[in-house]
Amino acid sequence: MSTGTATVRVELFGTPQLLTGQRQVEVPGRTLHEIAGVLAQEFPVLAGPVIDPATGWLNGGYIFVVDGRFTRDASYPVGPESSVLLVSAQAGGAS
Amino acid sequence: MNAVHGRYLHIDLSAGTATAYPLPEAVFARLIGGVGLASYLLDRFCPPGADPLGPENPLIFASSPFIGTGITTASKIALTAKSPQTGMIGDSLSSSYLALALKRTGYDALVITGQAPGWTVLAVDDGEIRLLPGSDLLGLDPAATADAVRAELGNSFRVAAIGVAGERGVRYASISNDGRLAGRTGPGAVMGSKRLKAIAVRGTQRLPAVADPRGVVRAARELAERSLGPDTAKYRELGTAANLAFFSRLGVLPTRNFQAGTFEAAEAISGERLFLEHRTDKHGCAACTIGCEHHYRTRDDGETVEVRLEYESLFALGSLCGVSDPNAVLRAAALCDRYGMDAISTGSTIAWAMECVERGVRLPGRPEEWPRFGDAEGLLRTIQAIGERRGLGDLLAEGSRRAAEIVGQGSVEWAMHVKGLELPGYDPRKLKAMALGFAVSTRGACHNRSSAYEVDFSDQLDPHAEALAWARAAARAEDRAAVLDSLTICKFLRHCFSDFFTEAAELFVRVTGLSMTAEELRLAGERINTVKKLFNIRQGWTRADDTLPPRLLSGEASGLTAAELDRLIQAYYRVRGWDEQGLVPPERLHELGLAELLRDDSRMMHGYAG
Repeated sequence: MSTGTATVRVELFGTPQLLTGQRQVEVPGRTLHEIAGVLAQEFPVLAGPVIDPATGWLNGGYIFVVDGRFTRDASYPVGPESSVLLVSAQAGGAS
Repeated sequence: MNAVHGRYLHIDLSAGTATAYPLPEAVFARLIGGVGLASYLLDRFCPPGADPLGPENPLIFASSPFIGTGITTASKIALTAKSPQTGMIGDSLSSSYLALALKRTGYDALVITGQAPGWTVLAVDDGEIRLLPGSDLLGLDPAATADAVRAELGNSFRVAAIGVAGERGVRYASISNDGRLAGRTGPGAVMGSKRLKAIAVRGTQRLPAVADPRGVVRAARELAERSLGPDTAKYRELGTAANLAFFSRLGVLPTRNFQAGTFEAAEAISGERLFLEHRTDKHGCAACTIGCEHHYRTRDDGETVEVRLEYESLFALGSLCGVSDPNAVLRAAALCDRYGMDAISTGSTIAWAMECVERGVRLPGRPEEWPRFGDAEGLLRTIQAIGERRGLGDLLAEGSRRAAEIVGQGSVEWAMHVKGLELPGYDPRKLKAMALGFAVSTRGACHNRSSAYEVDFSDQLDPHAEALAWARAAARAEDRAAVLDSLTICKFLRHCFSDFFTEAAELFVRVTGLSMTAEELRLAGERINTVKKLFNIRQGWTRADDTLPPRLLSGEASGLTAAELDRLIQAYYRVRGWDEQGLVPPERLHELGLAELLRDDSRMMHGYAG
C-alpha cells in the first residue's frame, strides 16, 4: 500500500464493535481486502474471530456494506467518500 | 423407512377419546416431517370455513425424522392450526424437550380436535391419554403452570402451557414449553378455545432407529463442530439483538409504527449496549450446540426482571413503540412471556394504538391511559391490559387488523400487517426480496417462513435485477426455510452447510433410509409451501391477500411502489407455476406429486377430508 492511500471511515457493528470497543474507526485502504488487512493489524483482537490472519480477509460470518451494498468482494474499491460498515451476516431464527 | 413411527394420535377432547392412525411413508418422503407433516395434517383435518376458535379447528403437534438422532438443534416441535389472526394457516416452531418426549410416545404427531367440557390438562402418557381438571391453574403464567403440572404428574412429563392471554382468547397468544414459545399466529388462543390450560407429555418408548447409525453419528459430529465456527458466532456471542443498531444505521429498523426506518435512540437499546450493561448469561435449546438464547437483567431502581430477549422482541417493544429505556423493554418482554403473547404482534398492535393517539383517533378506555410513542409506562400498562383483555386491551387483543376495522377513522392505513399477521423487524421498503416474501408468505408477514431478507442482505443479486430474478431468489429462500422447518433444524445452522440442499439430503438419507437428492429435497420444500397455499385457498385466500400495508407502498419515503410489488408477485407466481391469480393449477399438483398424496390419504383420515 502506498503512503498516499486515502483514509476510509469504517463503522463496526456487533462482535467487531464489542471486540474493539469502537463504533467507528478510520483506516487506510483502496479495496476491502486492504481495509480488512489494516483492521486486523490495528486491532489484533479482530484477527481470528472476525478476520482470518492467514488470508487477511473476513471469516464466513461477516460481510461489508459499502454505500448500502452488501459485498464480500475483496477487490471492491473504496475511497474517502465511501460509507463502509463491517457487520455480521444475517440469518433468522425459529418461532 | 427409518426414524419415524408411521402413525399419529388423534385426540378428540369433546368425546374424551384417543385413536391411533397410520401415516404412510409417502407423507415423509414428500413432506419430510415437522412443519411439512403438521401442515399436511391440518389440511386433512380442518374444514373450509372453520372457526379458528371453534372445536373443529385442530391443534397439531408434529415431530420429525431428525428429532432424537443427535443432530444438533433438531429438537424442535412444529405446531399448526387455523390462525385466529389470519384465518389461514398458522404454523409455529418451538425448540424443546417436549419434541423428544412426543417422539418417545410412539407417535409422530398429535392431532387435537374438539373442546373439553371444562378447563383441562391433557396428559399424554405414551399412547394413553387422561383429561385432568385444569381450573385450579387458571391465572398462572406458563412457567408456573408447567411447574404445577409436573409437581402433580412427575418430572418425567414435559409440558406445553398457555398463560392468561391464551385463557382469555388474545388472538396472538402463544404456547410456551421449556421456556420457549410457539409464538406467532396465535396457537395459544386456539389451545385456550379448547379449554386446554396445559398439555403434558411423557414418552417411554424407544426412539425409532436411523438407517445408518454410524453415518448419522459422524455427520452429526461434523455438523456440531461447524456449528461452533464463525458462521454462528453472532448468535453465540451477541444473539440476534445485534441487529438493532445496524438495522437503524441501514434505515430498515421499524420505528414508531413504521413511520421511520431509523431510531434516534438506537444506541440506548442496541444489542451491544444490552450485552455490556444487562446481559447475565446464555442458554441453548434442547439438543443445541449453538446456544443463542441470551438473558438480560434490568438495572434500575424498579423490580428486577431477568428475561431472554431476541431482536424481534427488542424492536417490537422498543423502536416500534419509540421506547428507548432498555429496562422498560426488558420488562415488556417479560410481561409478554408471562401472559403468553407473541411480542411482535403485541408491540405492533400497541404501536398502531400509539399512532391512533398521535393522530387524534378516539379509542376505547380512558384517554389518560392510552399509550403514546416513547411512553414506557404506557407500554407496560397496555401489555397488561391486553393480556387480561381489560379496557383498551380488549380491543388490542384482537390484533392490529381487527382493531383497525373496529375503530375505523382511517386507521386501517397504519395497521401494519399482512393477512392479519403483524410485520417483524425488517422495513421492506428498502428490502425488495423481503417485501415480496412478506407479501406472498402463507402465514402472513413473516421473516422465518421466507428468509428472503438474506437475499437483500447479501450480494446475491444486483439491486437492479429483473423481477423474475428476485422472485426465483425469494422462492428458493422460502423452499429452504420449509425444508429446515420440516427437518426441524435451526435456521442459524444454514450457513454451516457448504451446499445446503446436497448436504441436508445426504443427512436425510442416512437418517431415514429413503432416497433423496438435493433437487428432490428442494422440491419437497416447494411441495410443503404448496400444501400451505392449498390450505389457504380452501380457507378463502384471494389474490388481494398477497400485498403489503398501504404505508409501505406509497409516499416518497417508500422505495417500493404498488406497481413494482405487483410485478414481483406476478413473477413469483410464474416461478411457482401458478396462474395470474395465484391459484395452483391441477397440473402443477400432479407435477409435485401432491394430487395423488392428498387424494389417497383422504380415504384413510378420520377427520375432515373433503
